[in-house]
Amino acid sequence: MITDVGAVLPEIAVTITALLILLSDAVLERSQARRWLPLLAVAGLVAAIFSGPFTTNGGSYFSGFVIVDTFATFFRVLFCVLAILAVLVAPDYLERRRIPAGEYYATVLFSTVGAMAIALSADLISLFVGIELMTIPVYVLAAMQRRDRYSNEAGLKYFLLGAFSSAILLYGFSWLYGIAGTTAYAGIADVVARDGLTGVTAVAIALVTVGLSFKAAVIPFHQWTPDAYDGAPTPATAFMSVAPKAAAFAAILRVFFGALGPLEFDWSVLLAVLAAVTMTGGNVVALAQTNVKRMLAYSSIAHTGYILAAVAAYKVGGSAGAAVLFYVFAYGIMNLGAFACLAYLDLGGTRGATLEELDGFSRRHPGGALAFAVFLISLTGIPPTVGFIAKVFIIGPVLDRGFVWLAVTIALNAVLAAFYYLRVVVHVYMYDPATGAPRILPAPLLSVGLGVAAVATVVLGIVPDGLYRWALQAAGPFVVR
Amino acid sequence: MSPFGLDHVLTLLIVIPLAGLVPLLFFIRDDRAVKQVAIVTTFAELILSIVMLSQFHIGEAGYQLHEKVPWIPGLGVSYELGVDGLSVLLVPMTTLLTFISVLYSSGGAIKTRVGEFMAAFLLLEVGMVGVFLALDLFLFYVFFELMLVPMYLIIGIWGGTRRVYATLKFVLFTLAGSLLMLVAIIAVYLASGDPGSRTLSLPELIAGRARFSADFQFWVFLAFGLAFAIKMPMVPFHTWLPDAHVEAPTAGSIVLAGVLLKAGGYGFLRFALPLFPFGTQAWLPVLILLSVVAILYGAVVSVVQKDLKKLVAYSSVAHMGFVTLGIFVLNAQGAVGAVLQMVNHGFVTGALFLFVGIQYEKTHRRQIADLGGLANRWPLYTTFFGVFVLASLGLPGLSGFVGEFLVLLGTFKFNPATGPGGLFWGPLAAIGVILAAVYLLWMFQRVMFGTVREAYRSLPDLSPLEVACAVPLLLLTVLLGIFPQAAIAYIEPSLARIIALATDASFVVLK
Repeated sequence: MITDVGAVLPEIAVTITALLILLSDAVLERSQARRWLPLLAVAGLVAAIFSGPFTTNGGSYFSGFVIVDTFATFFRVLFCVLAILAVLVAPDYLERRRIPAGEYYATVLFSTVGAMAIALSADLISLFVGIELMTIPVYVLAAMQRRDRYSNEAGLKYFLLGAFSSAILLYGFSWLYGIAGTTAYAGIADVVARDGLTGVTAVAIALVTVGLSFKAAVIPFHQWTPDAYDGAPTPATAFMSVAPKAAAFAAILRVFFGALGPLEFDWSVLLAVLAAVTMTGGNVVALAQTNVKRMLAYSSIAHTGYILAAVAAYKVGGSAGAAVLFYVFAYGIMNLGAFACLAYLDLGGTRGATLEELDGFSRRHPGGALAFAVFLISLTGIPPTVGFIAKVFIIGPVLDRGFVWLAVTIALNAVLAAFYYLRVVVHVYMYDPATGAPRILPAPLLSVGLGVAAVATVVLGIVPDGLYRWALQAAGPFVVR
Repeated sequence: MSPFGLDHVLTLLIVIPLAGLVPLLFFIRDDRAVKQVAIVTTFAELILSIVMLSQFHIGEAGYQLHEKVPWIPGLGVSYELGVDGLSVLLVPMTTLLTFISVLYSSGGAIKTRVGEFMAAFLLLEVGMVGVFLALDLFLFYVFFELMLVPMYLIIGIWGGTRRVYATLKFVLFTLAGSLLMLVAIIAVYLASGDPGSRTLSLPELIAGRARFSADFQFWVFLAFGLAFAIKMPMVPFHTWLPDAHVEAPTAGSIVLAGVLLKAGGYGFLRFALPLFPFGTQAWLPVLILLSVVAILYGAVVSVVQKDLKKLVAYSSVAHMGFVTLGIFVLNAQGAVGAVLQMVNHGFVTGALFLFVGIQYEKTHRRQIADLGGLANRWPLYTTFFGVFVLASLGLPGLSGFVGEFLVLLGTFKFNPATGPGGLFWGPLAAIGVILAAVYLLWMFQRVMFGTVREAYRSLPDLSPLEVACAVPLLLLTVLLGIFPQAAIAYIEPSLARIIALATDASFVVLK
């Protein structure tokens, strides 16, 4: 029992931090709370990162519900890092927009615990609990701006489709339970290894695929994304565009390669086609957007496609899994940063984020504009940024698997994406500010958060080896033999 | 230890512009300080590249001043640098043109956001120098792309009225080619060996190139070739070039024509030819055809240009046609001529863009019809400009002649097993030389002679700064024309080796 608790110390740390935040929000005065709550949240998350190991040989806890392997520790750190960034970019926005800060931080932290639980899961039950614990706070985050109807719309849409997809997912889990008589991945793996692919298993796989595709925003299960991302408060958008997606891929890897790995069925072609459709669809629709938030929303769908391409190459082994993990990490930092940059524009309460509003951003806020450009260049995949390296790591296994057409599709998609990402840079750097453009309000913590993320984006693009080796080790459990 | 006490000269060449960025960003608001930092940095870089030239051993074909450190072992990538005869002149050419561009821009050509301009230029220099030094395919790609973003900003922020259109076109064309090359680079990595022994180091890849099947080479050469053909640019991928040149600020045009275009020709010689001899043979007929088309088409289109800057831009298409022709006739004369032509084009076309820019700064006109009679007012300008125009059309005694002559010599010796040979292509290409004389001299006549407009009478001749920018280019143009052997001695052994690798008959492909 003691060892069980020790194994999930980071999760406990985040939970306690969230509770402390709620408590101090009630006790502290407003001005005090404003100053201390973000610091408390960051301190708790840093403590969480360092209270667990970074690599481990793996151990099973809580009667097989939880597994702590390097895969879990990799995602654990990733989620904590994303939460730290999400906390740092929020305070100025929350203050000016009168969004209750304590609730925001606590909700982000609860969602983070859920995401961490997904990565730790060794059983369908703990997986499902993790998914719900992660997504329900995100619905709340989306709707947190109570008096804004777009925010309400975002929350409601996200909630309805999220609940719907959870139901499908759970239904699929129940079929798996029916087949295997157990909810543990290991038990399911034994049964599918014995029985092979039967009609019943196929139904279960289809249901689980649909459910998880909703969570990861794979086309054609992506429709909730633009509205939810657009309406939510900008720092919340930044968080929900990355953490749930990373968690969805953690779940996909756990279920498909942990529980269903022994199946002899080769779904790589199916996944490759889905990946190609998702990246192309996301990019093509993003081209047509004039609202930058919606554009980034569609582009995040395209990034799901890139990650899925690496998943499709799973037969290659460790390098494919490592590519997924590396990309998820890179995407998390750069996409969170890109969304958060938009917070400069709608700090003052405008709805924000049309291309025209970005005109002359580099004159009005040089630092923020530089960070924004770094994130956009990284999302495009131009060196020396982590986004470029991440794409290289994906193209490698895809080619190795023999999907030359998919590798070429990725390259051509990057050109499509370059068009709309660089068009944003055009507005930021090459147009003069419109007369009467509102002054950009100072937002010190936002600048700190974005600075950290931008530096990380470039540094990881120049020295990616440590992160890659860690990802390779973390992908170990899913190497197909 | 070298005579100058400098060991890692090549790394220093990459570090210096980066180091210059630090004080530059510190003073970014102070235009004067920023200009000084940029001038000092690019001058130091120029001096260092001359030191590198002095450390180079003439007569050796292999890579010199070699450096290698593992970078991303997970991808077989190392930080590997080296120079040989192919790159040893291109690097000082780059640093000189960068220095001149920065010097000229600091004289008042760039008025807004000077700090950002200089920062972009230093970053651009890192990419340009790195491209010519990298011996690892991945590292080369990184530098190749690193040139992209600064140039995108330089055209897009400090360019002319249609700058946004031009810069997006430039970036998207370039990216479309280079991203496919990235896929090909990764394919080369996967084909380079069994897991665990894979590499992207050029020397190792050349040693193990027998692993690349003929079929594989066909496709990979296509991907590399497309990237380089767009960069050069070869017809029909050249449409971004006139737009980019016309809209770019003068300094941007100088390095775009002088250096960035060379990355394409350099890439062919450095990577595509020695790594994929079968691919080269397979695509040879197409590439020769496109080269000759570029020579003739570029020249014919130049004749009818009304815009002075566009004329120089299209003449670049024709000149680059000579470079690719020289490369793909696959003999030593052609290849040496191609490299000489690249160096010469860097100085001469760089100078032409400089003078077109100087003229535009004074008259604010680029239409040839609006100009005329300037020779009466600007004797100094006319002399300099005249020499560069003559060098560009290939007058013997100036630098343009030797390169084009060697390329034509190589072309006449070209003797393929099937299809038309040198006796067919040679005369066609020679027509391009004649056409060059037509459009350049006709342009010079219309711009410089005739009656001068009233509005231009009071415009001053070259300023001391402008003379200082032009003199080094003039000296090099004359020197290279009179003593071409000095340059050829650097170039020849390495190019002979590259051509031998590309035409090795004993080479057997393993499946």
